[in-house]
Amino acid sequence: MDRRTFLSALGAAAVAALAALTPQAARSAWSRRSLRYLRPPGPFPEKEFLSRCINCGQCGEACPNRCIKFFSLENGWGSIDTPYIIPREKGCILCMKCGDVCPTGAIKPTAREAQAILDGVKMGHARVDESLCLSYQGKTCGVCYRACPLPDVAIYVGRLEQPHVTDKCVGCGLCERSCIQLPQAIRIIPNLG
Amino acid sequence: MNGGKRTAGMPGDKPFFLWRHLNKLRWMSLSIVFAMLVLLPFLHVYQTYVAAHAYDLLSPPERGLYDAMEFLTAPFTDDPAEDLDAVKGNTWSATFWGLKLSDPLAAGGQMAAGRTLHWPFLHTVLIPVAFTVIFGRFFCGWLCPATLLYELNSNFAAWLRWAGINLGNRKFDKRIKYAVLALGLVLSALSGSVLVAAVYPPAIIGREIYYGIALGGFGAGTVFFLGTVLFDLLVARRGFCRYLCPGGALYSLLGRYRLVRIRRIVETCNDCAKCNAVCEFGLDPMRDGFGQECNNCAACIAICPTDAMTFIIRPTDHPAQGLGHLGWQYRHRQAAERQQAVTRGEAA
Repeated sequence: MDRRTFLSALGAAAVAALAALTPQAARSAWSRRSLRYLRPPGPFPEKEFLSRCINCGQCGEACPNRCIKFFSLENGWGSIDTPYIIPREKGCILCMKCGDVCPTGAIKPTAREAQAILDGVKMGHARVDESLCLSYQGKTCGVCYRACPLPDVAIYVGRLEQPHVTDKCVGCGLCERSCIQLPQAIRIIPNLG
Repeated sequence: MNGGKRTAGMPGDKPFFLWRHLNKLRWMSLSIVFAMLVLLPFLHVYQTYVAAHAYDLLSPPERGLYDAMEFLTAPFTDDPAEDLDAVKGNTWSATFWGLKLSDPLAAGGQMAAGRTLHWPFLHTVLIPVAFTVIFGRFFCGWLCPATLLYELNSNFAAWLRWAGINLGNRKFDKRIKYAVLALGLVLSALSGSVLVAAVYPPAIIGREIYYGIALGGFGAGTVFFLGTVLFDLLVARRGFCRYLCPGGALYSLLGRYRLVRIRRIVETCNDCAKCNAVCEFGLDPMRDGFGQECNNCAACIAICPTDAMTFIIRPTDHPAQGLGHLGWQYRHRQAAERQQAVTRGEAA
């Protein structure tokens, strides 16, 4: 057996070994889902977003807030080089410039108006942890309400500025970013479909 | 392309003088594309500083960046945060004042991944496809940012060889890249995400430069790209583009019947084989072997010592013309005939 045959046999064996991994392992290598992240502001759930995104990076280049970052292999092979937002680090300001620049419609072009954004954006949905929230502990806070770009539509406050999130929340993450509690008392549940 | 219109090959006929200099233009084009890929992330960072009204909060190096970009863009814009959005993107997909252009492979990959036709996106590849149908793999030679690095790498390899270091120069089957293209599209379809983008250097480079400048640092693509550079250096000259590149494969297929081709003028060719030596894609210009892989880079035209290369407009390669040294015979015969005509004229 000469060296070339040996090497190609070795390569074939490696591929076979990879394929023989359990489906569970393969799936987790494909998509780790260990991070809680949002996709840039668009209507599509994760699967449809991935099939449309061509990984060109223009959304990141257009983002004036620099909240859009790009996966390397942290989230598995399936989302390599795709854009994401970690709302606790930096929320989306809903300027919708990424939608203008996206060539594939993975981020739909949306006018920068409240109604268009309410209709066309579903990044996730905010959820309040009442055991952590200061306002629910009797210390009036209301920071999340003041950070919300859609106040009284997506979120309203009751007694002691206790936040209540409505169905209209688009999941931009500005409330989670602004929460003064550690860990944060309001979080975005991503729209993974 | 008047080189093709004229009866090329007649005695005294030379290719249009500009064709010799196209290779320099090509290097200029490659350099401009690469410079833009470096400049755009800086401009983006500058835009974010402007949008944040944060000049006073910037650190000294950030201020340096701000001042430099302000100096560059101030003559053209009063409102950088908005106006500089006009040009965004990279060679994989880009926006110029609202005109969106994308690589045909991006459309192929997306169609495979989503198994749908998304028309607004497909429109963005029309112009590149039309240019490829006319000019063949011109993207590979004239625009691809990886080509710039690969060609510099190839020159570096030539220096190493000159210094006596033995580097591999293996030949593989050029059709491997079509298999890579097919495999990439199949895997994209199976996985539902555009995987071909992860193994396509022009897509990788634009992104990675952006990551390196505007975000935390380089990503996995840089490792892949350095791997291809080492493959080119140590295993096969320009091996990735010749044998593996999925985008190159798609461009080759689209440009199979390209109209603008390079053609050898057999009467002036002296068989020196410099064109074959200089051809980055390992083609055979000296024996009229261009095929669908030629990217009209014009390196063979630039190096030809007898000006025996020109452009023609023809959907297929010029048929094989035989060896060029026969040109000596043609030229001697033609010179003899001219001489005879002159002497006849004098006699009359």
